[in-house]
Amino acid sequence: MIEWSEQHLAIRDMVRRFVEAEITPRLEELEHGDTPPYEVLRKLFRTFGIDEMARARFAAIEARGDAPRAERDAEHGESGDALAMRLIPVIEISRYSPGMITALGVSAGLTAGAIMSRGTLRQKKTWGLPLTTLEKIGAWAITEPGSGSDAFGAMKATARSDGEGGYVLNGSKTFITNGPYADTIVFICKLDEGDSVPAESRKVVSFILDRGTPGLTQTKPLRKMGLHASPTGELFLEDVRVGKDRLVGETEDVPARAAAKETFSAERTGVAAMALGIVEQCLRLSVDYANNRVQFGRPIGEFQLIQLKLAKMEVARMNIQNLVFRQIEMASAGKAMALAEASACKLYCAQSAMEVCLEAVQLFGGNGYMAEYQVEQLCRDAKVLQIYGGTDEIQISQIARQLLGRG
Amino acid sequence: MKILVPIKRVADPDNANKVKVSADGSRVTSEGLEQKVNPFDEYAVEAALRLTENGATQSREGEVVVCSVGPKDVAQTIRGALAMGAERGILVDGADDAMDANVIAAVLEKLYAQEKPDLVVLGKQQVDGDSNQVGQILAERLGLPQATFANSIELADGGKACVVGREVDGGVLRVKVGLPAVITVDLRIVGSKAIANGITPATHAYPDAPRYASLKGIMSAKKKPIAEHTIASLGVTEAPRIEYLKFELPPKRAAGVKVESVQELVEKLHSQAKVI
Repeated sequence: MIEWSEQHLAIRDMVRRFVEAEITPRLEELEHGDTPPYEVLRKLFRTFGIDEMARARFAAIEARGDAPRAERDAEHGESGDALAMRLIPVIEISRYSPGMITALGVSAGLTAGAIMSRGTLRQKKTWGLPLTTLEKIGAWAITEPGSGSDAFGAMKATARSDGEGGYVLNGSKTFITNGPYADTIVFICKLDEGDSVPAESRKVVSFILDRGTPGLTQTKPLRKMGLHASPTGELFLEDVRVGKDRLVGETEDVPARAAAKETFSAERTGVAAMALGIVEQCLRLSVDYANNRVQFGRPIGEFQLIQLKLAKMEVARMNIQNLVFRQIEMASAGKAMALAEASACKLYCAQSAMEVCLEAVQLFGGNGYMAEYQVEQLCRDAKVLQIYGGTDEIQISQIARQLLGRG
Repeated sequence: MKILVPIKRVADPDNANKVKVSADGSRVTSEGLEQKVNPFDEYAVEAALRLTENGATQSREGEVVVCSVGPKDVAQTIRGALAMGAERGILVDGADDAMDANVIAAVLEKLYAQEKPDLVVLGKQQVDGDSNQVGQILAERLGLPQATFANSIELADGGKACVVGREVDGGVLRVKVGLPAVITVDLRIVGSKAIANGITPATHAYPDAPRYASLKGIMSAKKKPIAEHTIASLGVTEAPRIEYLKFELPPKRAAGVKVESVQELVEKLHSQAKVI
């Protein structure tokens, strides 16, 4: 793939029109107020028929019955066009609100994906489908105060058998996107079988919880540096009792570690598209500013130091766009990115987006530091790309492990 | 019901200030500007779709055929309308500078004869040339009733006629036209209750805007047929009757001046601006 097709551009134009009509006029309240992003996102889904498409996809799965996993994987592999259709709105909305995309991606992408890939047909229908249509909002809870990059090693959350076929869940989770508003939560924890197995070796399992379950507390949104359109909170579970129907896959032998890693990989592909949206917007705003801002009697775009910044931004934009194209091309060819390549891609995109944002703020000078000019927001938002979905440092170690043959 | 909707692409009206006049003044150039569907034509497509569907269930209850005259790349503009929901497209190949309203109307007359639609719905005018003639000339050539500047359309007499509303000073003029007919539409035709087709429940409210093409609509537009003709292959022999002699930009406004005192302001208003 060397450029967007006519159809891709038609989708882009439609999404742009939606963004201009529905998001930019409300950006202030979404980014600086207490308005959660969900109603606008639901409108996006309704407007473009994304909810209808999700229902049709599910009806097809249901009609076939629950196929064995290998077969399912082959069928579920996303086509290039389907991936492009998913990424174009990510790019366009990230130009204004990477936070909205984070809230959307965690709900309809990660949380729904965790249920849709490993759940039983009944679980998919009850909890997965309403997430893919955005009828319900989802949160995917893995991070804890003491476990971030070392997600499984240091995980303290537990599930204990209640002796009657059900489970008792305990633990606390933090930095949970959509945590404050989620209707459906996928809670990842370790199975405590009451034996002497060391914590690191215990089975990892995940459970589906509803908002309002006794013993579950969803905190108010936490204050953070950026990404304000994405509500982030903490979850506390105190002796939450659930039946086996809530255990994803309804068996303790679901490979939950592998499933969580798949989720991380999915997160990584989204980051390239988000970075592209952020970089495209910084570049557009910077070019405009360089042409119109006059200092020393001429537009600042005539100064070579400004030209250097613009040229570097354009190089980053081209590289990131090519990585997005590569993802689409690979999907078209039915291939998946190896973990090390996905890591390299995420590392580059996140770092470049951050650099471009900092340069854009610098180019705008005093205005760049003011909230009135959008680069300030994008700069705060871009930083998270280097942290979530695996920090830069984790990506680097994964690339190195593969290079050194220790993967 | 079958509706023919002629559409045209124009240089991005949101960037009309970037339109330039060629050095010799012979033509207007819009190089580097994106081409978009003429806004009034988009309203015509929306009106035609609303007339031929059940808005509540979104089931199609008729056929909308979209046509455009221009270079090959107007196919993209037609695809845009197909993505919104129109059934078929017709592209008539022709160079932009070999056309005026009369030539277009002659082309549409031929397409009308081929398609035999119940209605031809057009935008009231193009936002580039602003000539506002095609609909009227077409109705005259076809000998059909016309209703122009429509802000509402209501199907009447069991689908044999339309009552068309048009805003005039102090009120709304309502005309009833027997079908087939030619209707040109104004902005308010995309109002939430502007169209009544007897199928969509009266309680249904549309958004006050043309619809967005859904992702499925954009994907399926690729597979919808676009028939191709040329002006000559349709047997149109008309030549443009309008000759453009010269284009020029409005004169640049001189910069204002700052005055030091009220006295000076009054003096200048009197002696230079001559307004007091």
